[in-house]
Formats: sequence, structure tokens, C-alpha cells
Amino acid sequence: MKEAEGTERSRRGFLGFLGAVGLGWLAAAIYPVFRYLSPQAPPDPFGEDGRALVEKITSAEVSQPGMGGNGKYGNRGLLIFRNQSGTLKAFDSKCTHAGCNVAFEGERIYCHCHGGTYDLEGRNIAGPPPRPLTELGVVEEDGLLHVYRLTGGGESEAGS
Amino acid sequence: MKYEIPAEAEERLPAPDTRSGLLSRWFLQRFPVWRTYEHLEGKVVPKHRHSVWYNMGGLALFFFIVQVITGVLLMVYYRPAEPWMSVQRIVMEVPFGAVIRSIHHWSANLMTLALFIHLFSTFFMKAYREPREFTWLSGALLFAVTLVFGFSGYLLPWDDLAFFATRVGIAEVEKAPLLGMWLADLARGGPEVTVDTIGRFYTLHVMVLPVTILTIIGLHLFFIQVQGVSEPDFFAALPPEQKKYEKFFSEFMFGEIPIWLCMGALLVAISAVWPRGLSPEADPFGSAPAGIKPEWYFLSQFQLLKLFPGKIEAVGMFLWTMIPIGILTVPFLDRSIPADDRGRLVTKIGIVALLGLLLFTVWGGLS
Repeated sequence: MKEAEGTERSRRGFLGFLGAVGLGWLAAAIYPVFRYLSPQAPPDPFGEDGRALVEKITSAEVSQPGMGGNGKYGNRGLLIFRNQSGTLKAFDSKCTHAGCNVAFEGERIYCHCHGGTYDLEGRNIAGPPPRPLTELGVVEEDGLLHVYRLTGGGESEAGS
Repeated sequence: MKYEIPAEAEERLPAPDTRSGLLSRWFLQRFPVWRTYEHLEGKVVPKHRHSVWYNMGGLALFFFIVQVITGVLLMVYYRPAEPWMSVQRIVMEVPFGAVIRSIHHWSANLMTLALFIHLFSTFFMKAYREPREFTWLSGALLFAVTLVFGFSGYLLPWDDLAFFATRVGIAEVEKAPLLGMWLADLARGGPEVTVDTIGRFYTLHVMVLPVTILTIIGLHLFFIQVQGVSEPDFFAALPPEQKKYEKFFSEFMFGEIPIWLCMGALLVAISAVWPRGLSPEADPFGSAPAGIKPEWYFLSQFQLLKLFPGKIEAVGMFLWTMIPIGILTVPFLDRSIPADDRGRLVTKIGIVALLGLLLFTVWGGLS
């Protein structure tokens, strides 16, 4: 009888030990898998000099007031246009509502997904967007367009 | 060492000198499953004016089988490294490729529709009550897996409609409290929908989800085979001489065959008349095209969230979350057989939920 109890106790002890080792084993296996599946942080679109080259749209395509379109900087979408007073304006093209890319429509900036509308300063004026677009600074150099992060202006979602 | 044939089996098996007698004995000596056979043989399905709903689960299963076959065929040519090009090749060059892809599309939609009907018909017949709580829960899980199947498959062609619909869909996940952002990033493989997202969705769609769904389908069917089909209250209250049943094997099963054949023909017909289109290749940096809409089975949620823009969006999310919570808890809240006042209240809530779902789906479709 006593002997049986002792066996029972050591059996439980062994099972407990096995459980603990098993859990440790599982944790050791899960962590690398978790890290493997977790996305890596995307590279900062702005290089060492704080600027990003504009691609998929050329300065010729925004040479006159009222011209504009979609392009990219780093791995992000860009909306760039020249306003009526001749100034180049650039925004991260991600709509602040649901993340579609907005379109330049001359008088306004419009998102076809849910009808979000912004004025040419990027302010949300109609539809569902909760915030203005993220504005970027533009420089034109040797016929190439670059954008840079504007400090203090708007929410700096770009490159986050 | 062969197994012995039980005496009650000996009584009923065909004579041992016939071919079928020999074969059945040969089998039973190797697999001692006579009691299982008797159990399955005794399985019946109630016959009443609402019996047609009992075919919906089987119908969903039929569409699922079509999905497996067409899905395997599509995998032969689909390449996640050049998603749009490979789908275009399936549509333009591969013989019958366009039809097989369209059938996959329509069968997915009809499978979801059949599951919707199956879910609501079992709900209104109160089949979730004791002892079938786990059949109900496994069914709810199957429905959820099917929706993830739909969402992940939708992106794979990588055309601009799919791309932006997925982007919007995941942006909704982002807004969920606590784990939302983490889940969204995990699904996308980063802060944006990119080709990395294709890798994740593809693996989910052709490997993880199929294994998961097959396992749960197995459990779901096993539960049904063990417990039998539930009798709705109005049927259970009938005097015994008025209760009519149909044997599951094989009267009910044979009854399903013509339905399946008709549905197969319907699938081919609608796929021929309305082939699944392929819009231009997704441009992650271009502006979104007009007409971005989720598949119809996400429309009600989409429309509800539209009603609560900006800061009160959480209210819409909370309202919508009530549906899955209700589905998961109903077997434990409504237990009385036959239905009591609470049971009748649950039915009314179900009617409101169904009407709401229909209203918001149609509204979302029209707007």
C-alpha cells in the first residue's frame, strides 16, 4: 500500500517534470517562429540627408500649374502637384480614413474608395477622413524631385 | 488473428455462400465495426415541412469539395511571385482556365451563402441546444474559417480592386482595440500591403486554412453522426405516430445527389454567363480606382462601420462584434427544451439580426 503511494507520488513528480520541460521546449520553439513571422520594420524612406527621391512621376509631369499625379518615395505612395500659384505640393498619398491612395483632381484631392475629399492644402473637407493628409516638403534639383519630412506640420505618419 | 463476427451480425448478414456474404464477413473479420454499422444504419432525419434546411450543410460541403478540386487546379499555374501575370495566363492562355477560375469564385460565394442559410436555419430550429453545443460551436468556427478563406483568396489575383479592398479591409482590423495593430501588421507582413502580404495570404489560403477546415469538418460531421439530427420543438411535440423519418443512409444521402448535380450545373452555367473578371494589375502607388467594395459577405459590416465614422467608429465595431459573441454564447444562454420565454426572445433577436444583416448587405450593395 505504502509502496503504491510512493510509486504514485514519483509518477506525479515525473509527469510534473515532464510538463515543465515540455513547456520550456514549447517556449523555445515558439519564440523563433514568432520572430520569424513578425514583420521587419520597413526602411526609412528618407535617406541620410533626410530626403527621398521621387519615382514614377517626373518633374516634367508637374511642370505647369494644375498638373499633378501619383508617384512613390521609398516604399510609399506620393501625391504631388503644382498649385495655381506655381508652388509644388506633396503629400503622402495614403488616405487617413482607410488607407487607399488619393487622387489629384485639379480643384481637390479625392479618394475613390469612400469619397474622402481634401482641399489642395491636404485638409480633410468632406467624407470620412478624420485627419488631414501628411504633407511633405519638395525640392526640385537637376530635374529630379525629392521630398523631405516637414517637422511640426501635420502627423508624421510617413516612414513610421 | 481474425476478429470474430458477432452473433447478431451473423443473423443479418447475407448467406456465407454468396459473394456479398463472403465479402462482408471478410471485412468484419478485419475491422470489427459491426456496432458502428448498426448505429449508422439506425440514423434517421426528421421529415417535416422544414426538412429542406437539412440539405444546406451538405450543400456547403459540396461547394467545399468543388473548391478543393478547382483550387488544386488553379495552384498548378498560380505563382505567388508573379501573381497577376500568372492569373492572367490562367484566364487568357490555359485551356478552360477562365472557367475553372470562375467556378472557384462562384463556388466560394455559394459556399458562404449555403453556410449563412445553414447557420440561420439551425439557429431558428434551435439545434444548438444540449447535447449539440459543440456541433454548433464547431460550425461557427467553420464559418469563421470560411470568411478568412474568402478574404485571403480575394487578394491573390493582385489586381487593383483586390489590392485596395484588402488594404481597406486590413485597415479595419487595425482599428480593433489592443491586438488590432499587431494582427494587421502580422497579416500584411509590415505596415503596408505588399508582395510580402501575398506570401502570407497564399500560405494561409492553400495550406493552413485547408488543413484547419478539414479537421473541423471532420469533427463537425463526426458529432452529427454520433448525435444524430436534432428535432425542432414542433416536431418533437408531435404524437409518435405522426412523426415521420427518413433513413440517413441512404434515403437522405441519395436525396442530396440530385441537389448536388443541379448545383454543379448551376455553377458551370453562372461561371459561363458571368466569368470572374481580372482588373488591371495592382499599382501600390497609384490612386485607388472607383468601385472598391468588399465581397458581399463583408458588406453588412462595411456599411455598419460607414454609419459610425471617425471617433464613434468603435460603436459600430462593438455592435457588429455582438453577432459573433451571440453565436458563441447562444447554446449556453438558451437551453430550455422546449423553448421557454428566453428561447422565444432569442428567436426574436435572431430575426432582428437576420433582417439587419440583410438590410445592411443590400444597402451596402446599392450605395
